Amino acid sequence: MTGRGGAKKSRAAGPAPPTTTLVLDNGADTIKAGFVSDDKSDGKPRIIPNCLARDRHRKIYVGSELEKCKDFSELAFRRPVEKGFIVNWEAQKEIWDREFFDDKAAQKCDPSETRLILTEQPNSLPSLQTHCDQIVFEEYGFASYYRGLGPVFNAYRDIQSIFRTPQSTIDSPAQVILLIDSGYSHTTVTPILQGRPLHPAIRRLDVGGKLMTNYLTRLLSVRHFDMRNEPYIVNEMKEAVCYTSLDFKGDLEKTWKGTRGEKREDYLSGAGIAKDYVLPDSHTRFHGVVRDYEPGVSARARKGIISTEDVLTLRNERFVVPELLFNPSDIGIRQPGIADLVKQSLLAVPIGLWPGLLANIVVVGGNSLSEGFCQRLQTEILKRFPDECRVRVARPEDPIISTWLGAANFAKHEHASRLEVTKQEYEEHGAAWVARKFAAGLGLDP
Amino acid sequence: MNNFGVIEVASQKTKNAPGWAYVPDTGLTPAAAAALQPLNRKRAARDKANVGAPDLTARQDAKIRKDLEALDKDSHRDAQIPIPPKAGGTRAQNKHTPNVRKILQSQKTFANHLDDYQAFLALAESNPQLAAQVNKPTPTTAATTATTTARNSPAPSTITTASSNKRSSAAPKRAAATAAAAAGAKEEKGGSNKKLKTQPQPKPVAGNDDVEMTDGPEATQETMTPDSSEPFPPRPDTPTCLEPSTTATPTTTEQPKLQSYPPDGTILPAYNRPPPTPHPGDDDPLLVSRVPPFPTDEELRALITAPPLSYLEARAQWTEEEEGRYPARRFCEVCGYWGRVKCIKCGARVCALECLEAHREECLVRYGL
Repeated sequence: MTGRGGAKKSRAAGPAPPTTTLVLDNGADTIKAGFVSDDKSDGKPRIIPNCLARDRHRKIYVGSELEKCKDFSELAFRRPVEKGFIVNWEAQKEIWDREFFDDKAAQKCDPSETRLILTEQPNSLPSLQTHCDQIVFEEYGFASYYRGLGPVFNAYRDIQSIFRTPQSTIDSPAQVILLIDSGYSHTTVTPILQGRPLHPAIRRLDVGGKLMTNYLTRLLSVRHFDMRNEPYIVNEMKEAVCYTSLDFKGDLEKTWKGTRGEKREDYLSGAGIAKDYVLPDSHTRFHGVVRDYEPGVSARARKGIISTEDVLTLRNERFVVPELLFNPSDIGIRQPGIADLVKQSLLAVPIGLWPGLLANIVVVGGNSLSEGFCQRLQTEILKRFPDECRVRVARPEDPIISTWLGAANFAKHEHASRLEVTKQEYEEHGAAWVARKFAAGLGLDP
Repeated sequence: MNNFGVIEVASQKTKNAPGWAYVPDTGLTPAAAAALQPLNRKRAARDKANVGAPDLTARQDAKIRKDLEALDKDSHRDAQIPIPPKAGGTRAQNKHTPNVRKILQSQKTFANHLDDYQAFLALAESNPQLAAQVNKPTPTTAATTATTTARNSPAPSTITTASSNKRSSAAPKRAAATAAAAAGAKEEKGGSNKKLKTQPQPKPVAGNDDVEMTDGPEATQETMTPDSSEPFPPRPDTPTCLEPSTTATPTTTEQPKLQSYPPDGTILPAYNRPPPTPHPGDDDPLLVSRVPPFPTDEELRALITAPPLSYLEARAQWTEEEEGRYPARRFCEVCGYWGRVKCIKCGARVCALECLEAHREECLVRYGL
């Protein structure tokens, strides 16, 4: 067994450091994966559903095979990632194997010649982190590896261009940003200073895309059809029609049918809020279609006059669902909303950092795609801070792959070589050492 | 009571008539009498409902909890989807290392892992040595020999107990820091004399507060109070030898340093880009913006090197004063409008009569009341 010095020497003289890097943003809903090397890199990651899905004919789809699925009714899912963390490695390994390591894999790579950069969610459990490291090195044998917080990678993007700030130079990593990541499992707020997360100020709200889809499912099941076995269809509907209301009270008033016998003008006309959603019938139509509200169509459909299509009229369901991010107490979750989350996070950092953080709020994650989200967030945050503070909220064009793009930039940055752990180091020092190295992060050195 | 087969059906009503009255027989005890015969009949319904009130809210609480659990689930039914067998060519299945085999076979859910972790933290708090033994890592590979594990043996204990210690000591530390900061503010008000005594830091980033400066984005007032750096090192009240010199020439020595915002620090470098073009309104005292004191290197260092919080600590929660600041919004359970009316039977909120009727059909089925 060689000692520490021996290992260093063999690292220097031994196999050349890997030239390609597999950047993997392993989300609960989708995996974002792509290769990065010095000379060329994938401009965009491939988005792979991170699930095993079973349709009603009991056929099972693994990962990207879901593209072949046509009939999404009664699709059931098994997800290896729970609450943002990889928990079930049996399923996760199967998906990874099929996507990256099998002979016919779409993004085939040889782990022994590849560096892996893997994202994780903040505040993970140590046992899950250790499992992850062990699988990466002992099962796959990647040449080197770094596991870092997903939100932090966003600091390596060109943040000021997202804000459209005129500038001469690009900071990488960005000096100071407040990153809000609203994903499938939860929503986190992470202040980042020069690529270093401020751990005491990271806060999490347990409202994410999954909860919102489930909530929409419940609303529809109470008011229209039983959709409880159709998570895929409801999710599609959520993405198509839900928006963040800028005037919740007013919108709610417009969508009220009124008390008995009352004919409210806004309700009858739809007031621009009501939308018809045509459900897929899984014969001719496999995806739902949004239409403008036509008074009478859904009523006729309900009476069975036109039975060729199932039409749902969505009214307050459209904005009540994203409202959960701002007011989780609406369904009894005893947690503050996203704007108070920002406030609680900032209370944990010195007040001198507030102006910088508030002026550089970046929102990523799929939930931020709902219309009006950034505007609503900005007004809500403005209400909670002194007038002098300038609040800027920006969303990159591609909030879902933003973390991956940041991680791809990170792979080319010199920080990556400082933080990565090689297989030899793992074999010599063990999993606990690796965990400590990753937890320590960049430290104070510039 | 034998009254010859005639059963008198006493009315519940008390009739008042001149001279005599029918009164229901309420027995002897006054308490029982009061229960059967409430004095004020108008309030009877309400009082009865109040008796069941705690039970009712408990039921509603349980319902909310159940609903939230359902919302948190991945799918409506528990889907047991097995991993499909490989179509072409099987991979070698049996070459996993023991660790990997254990991980792959583990059927633990996230909740199980979280419970384990909480239990471990509790153990670490009560019995650190035992916890260190429990957490002793399994050898990573066959290649790792006893020497490396021996070298690493103190490591796991330090990492875990450190995290638990941090967790337990974080609150007092924070309290101490805020107390110190408050003290610092008080002293600042008290006078600059005392403040100057505490100057002998390794790096005095100091200046007095009343230096007038030109307005600009990088150089604004409030002079990055050096006091905020001082809560952290112990605050000696004993005067030091450096005192005379610093009191003598504070302005001349410190003034150049104040030209940059933030002050010279190793963590955040000073702003060194060209300032924006001057504006005629720059000197207007009404337009001067207040910039809070910039955090010092000590503060930033503490923030950056702080360990991550545990999963449950990072979960945002209402503080006590905020918890009840705004009442929870209630919505109609049928149509989603404001819940303005409460169902008498189950306490569910509905908006108006139409929804109340819709709710009642279900309410009877659900609770059998």
